[in-house]
Amino acid sequence: MALKKLSKEKVGEALGELSKFRLIAPAKSDDVVVFKQINNPGEAFLDYGNSTVPAKKFAFPQTETLFRFVTGSPELAEKNVEEEGTTVIFGLRPCDARAMAIVDKLFSWDFDDPYYLKRRELTTLVGMACVEPPSVNCFCTSLGGSPFGGEGLDMLLTDMGDYYLAQALTDKGKKLTETLSSQLEDAPADDEQKAKQMALDAEGKIRRTIDTAGIPEKLPGLWENELWKKVSAACLGCGICTFLCPTCHCFDIQDEVEEMGEGRRCRMWDSCMFEEYTVHASGHNPRPTRKERTRNRINHKYSYYPDKFDVIACVGCGRCINLCPVNIDILDILDQVVDAS
Amino acid sequence: MVDLTKLREMAREVISREDVREFIGYRPGTYGFRARPAFVMGPDDADELIFTPACVNNLASYIVLEEKLPVKRGEEPDLRKVAVMVKGCDSRALVQQMEEKAYDRERILVLGIPCRGVVDMAKVQAKFPDVLEVGDIALEGDKFVLSFNGSKEEVAKEELLADKCARCRYPTPLVYDELLDAEVERFADDDYADVEELGKRSAEEKWAYWEEKFSRCIRCYSCRNVCPMCYCEDCVLDRLQPQWMRRSVDISENAAYHISRAYHLAGRCIQCGECQRVCPVDIPLMELNRKFYHDVEELYDYEPGTNVENPPLLSTFKVEDREDFIM
Repeated sequence: MALKKLSKEKVGEALGELSKFRLIAPAKSDDVVVFKQINNPGEAFLDYGNSTVPAKKFAFPQTETLFRFVTGSPELAEKNVEEEGTTVIFGLRPCDARAMAIVDKLFSWDFDDPYYLKRRELTTLVGMACVEPPSVNCFCTSLGGSPFGGEGLDMLLTDMGDYYLAQALTDKGKKLTETLSSQLEDAPADDEQKAKQMALDAEGKIRRTIDTAGIPEKLPGLWENELWKKVSAACLGCGICTFLCPTCHCFDIQDEVEEMGEGRRCRMWDSCMFEEYTVHASGHNPRPTRKERTRNRINHKYSYYPDKFDVIACVGCGRCINLCPVNIDILDILDQVVDAS
Repeated sequence: MVDLTKLREMAREVISREDVREFIGYRPGTYGFRARPAFVMGPDDADELIFTPACVNNLASYIVLEEKLPVKRGEEPDLRKVAVMVKGCDSRALVQQMEEKAYDRERILVLGIPCRGVVDMAKVQAKFPDVLEVGDIALEGDKFVLSFNGSKEEVAKEELLADKCARCRYPTPLVYDELLDAEVERFADDDYADVEELGKRSAEEKWAYWEEKFSRCIRCYSCRNVCPMCYCEDCVLDRLQPQWMRRSVDISENAAYHISRAYHLAGRCIQCGECQRVCPVDIPLMELNRKFYHDVEELYDYEPGTNVENPPLLSTFKVEDREDFIM
């Protein structure tokens, strides 16, 4: 399929066309970049580094109602994800899309999660290649990703200066090309080659790296290693590293009373860094301190997940490094894992 | 300026004492200009200690964050002291914790750092976004000098200074066993102009302002966890049966969370600003805390964390206490 281009002058028009769907795009809330539903094309802020909260929240919302109930009534008003309608997430970074492809494996593993999978089915992902790395702590290339990576994406846009080069990567992406037929034009013939070179250049600008070979196999043997105490000593036990991680997917389910006699069952993000995450009904906590919780976070990403799904549950977006209040740095931890004996 | 040789020597001496378990200080971070908390457990660890204007963390939080596991049968609890480095502002957290009888003075050994100001790391990050190699920041007169990649850059102090430092009343720690440098005289004061200004808005304007901010909250609880005054052994937020606060993340619960926390800090917040610093979505929490701080000071002539002998404000009653705002 021929490559297309979207002139920057027509981006507003294209977003207008896409707003017949549920359109999600990066936008500014004060100076913070967040993904949100866009009603007016002017709200979209595409010239951004990366969002603070990953786009995962539109596949796996931080809080979602599963059903509502009324005391004394056997009827449950179940959630119908269909009602959310077709969704386009426009302008997310390749790492965030790759993360969704990784998390898909979990939500379709021993049980097909109807909410997550239905939403994924209804969603088209339009990525924005990272011509420049969004932060010094990006390390996607160490995990098999790329600033121009297409994994998980339906369409990839590349900023060529005056226009975006648009490559449809899946059937959903091709369909989107048709939807935007009035805004897209044929791209110059040499753009494909140009984009390949830009991708190589962009990969070269990623400065942080880790050789992950052997880490998943090595981690189980380091269970009692003293490194965990050391790397977790400064941990505050907050949820920044997990909530802002595009691959973290743990949730809790709670019943919440809304009005007298009415309530809902909902699920919400949970974090293995929280103390009560593993507290048993008896009061016993098998992960009693931040040491065990930090060890779990690293093991889950770099050992259990690859063990089960053949892929490391980390895409190297760098958010956990950039935003940790006490500079706990996952690459520093992994370096220590590599060095440990 | 803190003499690093002296600091490390002192740390070695302190950690070698039989009655000291650990020494909490700072060490260089993993990238850019960051510094991070250091937990010195033996004399060899002391060589990495630093103190620079990048040492923004309030280490007093770690005294109350300590995790106490049940003592095993036949073992004795470890009652040795914890040594901690504190700036003027941080020392007030220790004072307030002790005012509230969180622990005994004998449990800690305080190494005070008279401080002329630290940077706002977000401002540093915005100005030098591409610096990956570990750099250094020093305060020289009215300039911060940033060294990185073999080069040096001078930036006017006010451009990178943390807001709290521009109105710091207590640059020299108010509690210490030893000072690591000469005392620093008060060089600034707080006129609460920002609080007065924000207070002028209508209720609708205030709500629109906070609604935008609270809507961003992801309830990671980093503000609570980093707060040196948030040390309840059992926080209502972690209680699920019954749920005192819903786990749902929406504007209603988020607003309730932040407003409740601000109330719980009235007369207790010592304005270290850590909550606002750590917030990943830039919620200006200190605007709430400073409003309460200002009210408490005006109404009761009380500043939290300034005197260990003071009883906590909310556990005292004086006949002349103002009550005209109650009814």
